[in-house]
Amino acid sequence: MAPSLDLFHGTDHHRACVKLIPVALAYGIFQVVMRFKDESDLVRRLKERDPHAMSDLYDRYGRLAYSLIYRIVRNGAAAEDLVQETFLRVWNRVQSFDRQKGALGPWILTVARNRAIDYLRSIDGRMAAGSLELDKVENPALFCEFSDSALSIDRARRIKGALEKLSTNQRMVIELAYFEGLSQTEMAAQMKQPLGTVKTWVRSALKILREELTEAAIA
Amino acid sequence: MRCEELREMYELYTLGVLEDEERKEIDAHLGGGCEACRQSLRDVLATNAAVLSAAPEMKPPALLKRRVMAAVGVRHTGWAWAAALAAACMLVLALWMSVQERRGSAELADARRTILQIGAERDHMMQALSFLNQPETQQVGFGKNKPAHGNIFVNPRRGVLLIATNLPPLTPGRIFEMWLIPKGGAPQPAGLFQSTDSGTAYHMLSGPLNLSSGDAIAVTVEPEAGSAAPTTTPLFVAPI
Repeated sequence: MAPSLDLFHGTDHHRACVKLIPVALAYGIFQVVMRFKDESDLVRRLKERDPHAMSDLYDRYGRLAYSLIYRIVRNGAAAEDLVQETFLRVWNRVQSFDRQKGALGPWILTVARNRAIDYLRSIDGRMAAGSLELDKVENPALFCEFSDSALSIDRARRIKGALEKLSTNQRMVIELAYFEGLSQTEMAAQMKQPLGTVKTWVRSALKILREELTEAAIA
Repeated sequence: MRCEELREMYELYTLGVLEDEERKEIDAHLGGGCEACRQSLRDVLATNAAVLSAAPEMKPPALLKRRVMAAVGVRHTGWAWAAALAAACMLVLALWMSVQERRGSAELADARRTILQIGAERDHMMQALSFLNQPETQQVGFGKNKPAHGNIFVNPRRGVLLIATNLPPLTPGRIFEMWLIPKGGAPQPAGLFQSTDSGTAYHMLSGPLNLSSGDAIAVTVEPEAGSAAPTTTPLFVAPI
């Protein structure tokens, strides 16, 4: 038998695995460093108004932003307008984004979600004051010192798993908050349920999501 | 409220769906500079992003990127590249067409020259045939056993036709000149001509001639403007 195949048998296999751990760790660290370097470089180029940077930004986050916005407004033409508005806003505000510590993905998703919720509220004739609140939480300064896994595949998988753990009512209130922009009072009115009940569903649903993500972070 | 209690509301706060009273309380708390709560806020924003990223994936329309790029005043690089490629192709096509046109013009000019030459030769041939068909035309051979040889056809009413072969090649600036030499008189110029690449020449002196026995026809090589009298030794002299 060829010597290389011995790696997969008996104690040799374990020894080979142990030897590979530092390599795997180094590779993981390398990937994280490269990701941050890429992101940091992209932000630098955006700040310098490099035309290719905007193209790269769209290639990286365009599909994510469109998917989210379409999920909220459920209208292709409106989604296109809102994606355009989202990237325009990012372009105009990127100067105050922290190049070293900022996380572009969460910021862009927040801006995209808020544009879409603003649109929903405008066609529903709901309060305009909400726009100011949404604007406040889009501040680029808030999107720094995130964990590098804020938008990782593992985290997305965990979130999907956590959403599946929610009861129908819990999932409903989460969707109404995240994808419809409804307050708990508005949820109660729409679901024809007492406000206290809705608040309990919201609190318990958020607790499950937090716990799931905290476990992921620890793991 | 304490930080732990406020923490329970940060998701709704960052989503902009909190009731006014609770929102104002959090605003005031964060405004007070609570660093722990600011970090909690960041954690919540990360959680929100993770939830938002769980939206079903949709493929945006292909032209959307172009719109986004145009909105921020940046030309879409892909199209710029395509436009540059198209411009380059157009330039190459224009150059190719120009070369083709030039080549076509040159070929056309060559063809025109060839047609004119053929036409001129045909005219000469027709003239020669007409000359040869005349009953008064007499033939005189010359240069037998010499490199340059041929025939001279004389018609007192129509003139002289010289058909020569194997003439020597001319150097630049030189030409053949035919002479009519009366017996006992000075040579008289009888026209300039050139030979073909193979050394063949046709030359005709048109018009009635006052010839008598003992006259001769000669050919010399002269400067291209011709000479009033021969300046070189005749290539041949043919008595008529």
